[in-house]
Amino acid sequence: MSRIVPLKAALDVAIHGAKAVGLGQALRDGLPVPEGFALSGPLVEAVTSGDEAAEAEVRAAVGSLAGPFAVRSSAIDEDGDASSFAGQHLTLLNVPGAAELPEALREIWWSANSDAAITYRQKVGRFSRPSVAVVVQTLPAPETAGVLFTRNPVTGADERLIEASWGLGEAVVAGLVIPDHFLLDRQGQVRERRPGYKTVAIRPVATGGTVEEELAPDLVERLCLDDAQLAALHQLALRCEAVHGPDRDLEWAFADGRLHLLQCRAITTSGS
Amino acid sequence: MRGAPIDVLQRVPLFADLNPDELAQIALLFKERDFNQGTTIIQEGSGGAAFFVIEAGEATVSIRGTPHSTLGPGDYFGEIALIDEGPRMATITAASRLDCWGLTYWDFRPLVEANGVIGWKLLQRMAMMLRDARAQQ
Repeated sequence: MSRIVPLKAALDVAIHGAKAVGLGQALRDGLPVPEGFALSGPLVEAVTSGDEAAEAEVRAAVGSLAGPFAVRSSAIDEDGDASSFAGQHLTLLNVPGAAELPEALREIWWSANSDAAITYRQKVGRFSRPSVAVVVQTLPAPETAGVLFTRNPVTGADERLIEASWGLGEAVVAGLVIPDHFLLDRQGQVRERRPGYKTVAIRPVATGGTVEEELAPDLVERLCLDDAQLAALHQLALRCEAVHGPDRDLEWAFADGRLHLLQCRAITTSGS
Repeated sequence: MRGAPIDVLQRVPLFADLNPDELAQIALLFKERDFNQGTTIIQEGSGGAAFFVIEAGEATVSIRGTPHSTLGPGDYFGEIALIDEGPRMATITAASRLDCWGLTYWDFRPLVEANGVIGWKLLQRMAMMLRDARAQQ
């Protein structure tokens, strides 16, 4: 068993977790996922324990990857059918380089062993030792990012729902802004285009981590996606559905003129 | 270095009677966990995930919003909820930057089950807390 593999080679959910295997599958299918590595739970625990050989193994493997990194939990049971550890297990954005990875892995490991996480485990009947696998990926510095549901998760209607804002997508996911709202039909035609109220953007900072930046007044209500970008998102939705099946929940980002797929999972809150 | 430094654990009353080999084995189970000043480390009422030993810094203990005591290097906290799998009995907040070594439930329980010396000391501490609680009634 390999404790650290390129994301594209992450095949076994029991070793690298569902998130890593899902992203690896997306890469194998040619989807535009940022390159990265999958670290097994025992390797992350060894690093957290201060095992210097394990730290060296991580630094050596990840050294070839362009930083900064997004470091996310891919704990073995975190995306179970009946439960989701979203919000319990930490994601660290803009970890500057391989030297800072051990500390990032420690933080993520402890987030899965926090009081909040264990309370959740007790509540959903998964009171067992977590195996905290982790995904390390190059972090794009996006101009625009957000989420796309290939089916409307509120009404269940057969239409694409896109929510977008400036900077990193965490501003949308964390509800820091009222995002721009778009509805597309299954042919990609725009049905609805509603500007949000985007007063802040989350940006990476050079020393690591992110900062909440106040946006210029002219950006607050200006739409952050144009027709060409909406068409690219529609194409991405089609490709994700072709690969993974219907009813997908995507996180995406436009950086340096390229569209990146950051996450592709099943919608969990679809309307009837 | 892997695990907690032996000299840190030697200062902890819970481990005072263990021999160096036993201490070295236990030290391997601990993982570093540091907190910034003001961080709530444990929230009263929450489930319990880990037991902590303080290496450096200070933490305050409050119960139902009332300040109770201050913890410093060599003190430990968080063991009760790990024993009964019940809710945390107090809120612990980092009063300064706090350098700790943590032992999760998954390692704490087998450790106590396998080590009668530690189990006995935990019993003594529980008995003392029970007497204190009765005395305050």
